[in-house]
Amino acid sequence: MSDRRVEGGPVLAIESLAVAFPRYGGEPVHVLRDIDLVMAPGEVVGVVGESGSGKTMLARSIMRLVPVPGRIDRGRVVFAGRDMAELDAETIRRMRGRDIAMIIANPRGELDPLETVGQQIGNVLRHHLTLDRAAIRVRTLELLRQVSIPDPERRLDAYPHELSGGMAQRVVMAIALACQPRFIISDDATSGLDVTVQAQVLELMRKLVVERGTSLLFITRDIGITAHFCDRVAVLFAGEIVEIAPRHAFFADPRHPYAILLLAAYAQNERLRRYWLGDTTAGAAEGPATTGCPFARRCVRAQDRCRAEHPRLEEMAPGHFARCHFPVER
Amino acid sequence: MQLLAYIGRRLLFVAPQLVGILLVSFLLLKLIPGDPAVMMLGPFATDDGLARLRQELGLDRTILEQFLIYLGNVVQGDLGTSWQTTLPVTTDLAQRFPATLELVTLALLLALAIGVPLGIAGARYKRGVLRTTADYYGLFAGALPDFWFGLVLIFVFYTLLQVVPPPLGRLDYAILPPATVTGSLLIDSALAGNWQALRNAAGHLILPVATLGLINAGPILKMTQSTMERMLESDFSRYAEMCGLPDRVVARKALRNALPSIVTIVSVLYGFLIGGAVLVEIVFSWGGAGQYAVGGVLNADLNPVLGFVLYSAILSLVIYLLVDLIYFAIDPRTR
Repeated sequence: MSDRRVEGGPVLAIESLAVAFPRYGGEPVHVLRDIDLVMAPGEVVGVVGESGSGKTMLARSIMRLVPVPGRIDRGRVVFAGRDMAELDAETIRRMRGRDIAMIIANPRGELDPLETVGQQIGNVLRHHLTLDRAAIRVRTLELLRQVSIPDPERRLDAYPHELSGGMAQRVVMAIALACQPRFIISDDATSGLDVTVQAQVLELMRKLVVERGTSLLFITRDIGITAHFCDRVAVLFAGEIVEIAPRHAFFADPRHPYAILLLAAYAQNERLRRYWLGDTTAGAAEGPATTGCPFARRCVRAQDRCRAEHPRLEEMAPGHFARCHFPVER
Repeated sequence: MQLLAYIGRRLLFVAPQLVGILLVSFLLLKLIPGDPAVMMLGPFATDDGLARLRQELGLDRTILEQFLIYLGNVVQGDLGTSWQTTLPVTTDLAQRFPATLELVTLALLLALAIGVPLGIAGARYKRGVLRTTADYYGLFAGALPDFWFGLVLIFVFYTLLQVVPPPLGRLDYAILPPATVTGSLLIDSALAGNWQALRNAAGHLILPVATLGLINAGPILKMTQSTMERMLESDFSRYAEMCGLPDRVVARKALRNALPSIVTIVSVLYGFLIGGAVLVEIVFSWGGAGQYAVGGVLNADLNPVLGFVLYSAILSLVIYLLVDLIYFAIDPRTR
């Protein structure tokens, strides 16, 4: 992909993407709706959301791996200037792991239990780059060193079950970095690790991404992590982006009630919690489902209009968008 | 080294396991009504004669004593005599056990050759001709009784088409069997350079092997397909896909991970068919071990039955040891 067209352009542009699953005897269920996201080269965007909000589906639809019977129902994913819908399956297959790489959660379960670390990294190198056996070994060792795995020669022959969670996470990072992709998706990658290891792995990820100018879509359930190194933060709720803003704007001036609840839930101290919650109170009872704003049934600020009319993503400040009829003003 | 220690440990338990199996079979067989002495002497026997024979056979002793005497003989390599064939059980089994082994081994190879590829294809291509074929195959193979299927094959290929030899044993009567080395007619006639016997034995094997193989491909297919499906949907396959590995590489990984299940089902079928092929053996007058044991049970001829149990138990233990060694080779987590 030494495509000249993309110089300076966005590495990824998602335009009004929707993913739907057919439902027996009913309307299809949309797990992603109206997603717009443009990422510049080297940019790190955090995507936060609860379980079932569509985070993983977002990652999978960028990779064109929406599980059957789901399908991309509307919209486009343009990667490095090329509309993914126009590429054939083989071309997209070759892009995965080489141009778009994935760092996953629970890597010990996702690595092949029957292959050594060396074989698994080697597999990716062999199928994407034309390297001979010796070159693969050299490159594999280099990758293991880059992700700070001690004693890489010995780890080469280790099986996944012999690795600790942190080590396995580093191996998965090494696989992601193997072909020097321009875009990496990290899907809840550090969630299984204990806090100190998590901090090490995050720091490593930040360093490797920033040094190489790789773009990173950092998907997580932990809003606190995004504060560390994301340029922008997007909040996903019920398959929609409900707020997206530059990091500082997001943490200083969150607008969507759901984003505020997320922040408050994360906040350790009471003063911070009060700052974010303001005069709203958390924990409204769940109301009936509506055709309007999907968050209305949980929102303390919900009014008749919220239940009737689906809000659009509106620009609140330059680069700061929220999807709310009554955004929080401070 | 670790491996040798493991095998050694396993072998340590073989003897007690065999004694246990023999004890249970001995007791169960004694529960079956039927007096060998009456069977042996026939309807005109005198009470006196019966009593004498019972004493000779040791039938007047307690069951425990009888078992210990039997066990003592077994340890010396004496499995007793069958009163039906009037031959030592070891001699009978030396001929019949290999007959069954040859049949079952070839049948399972055929079953593997059908079941594994079809199962893989069925798992990989969720719709299409191969998937439909796999589904219907599994259904029919599971529903057809093997002896009936054998009779159908005989009717079609022997009676109608006359392309196979008659279903009467392992060789035509006119063919001189090769000297026994392994007991497998194919191997022995090849060793003896007796090509006529080889061709004839192969001809006789075709239908019974096809019968057992085609039927038992069913469970192998089902196991392969369901395990492959699970592996292809598992996290590591999804991850391999995300890494952009080609489909065939992903399928190969899934197959390797599915292999232990396939090995397991084959080993279970193998142990089962040693005795379970008996109906097919009868249909083809195969003269195999299962037939021999059933004859023993029906005629209160205990020694052949116990001999059969002992041989199959040893074979099963060997098979399970092999299975464990295969697991060892496939899966690093078991090492």
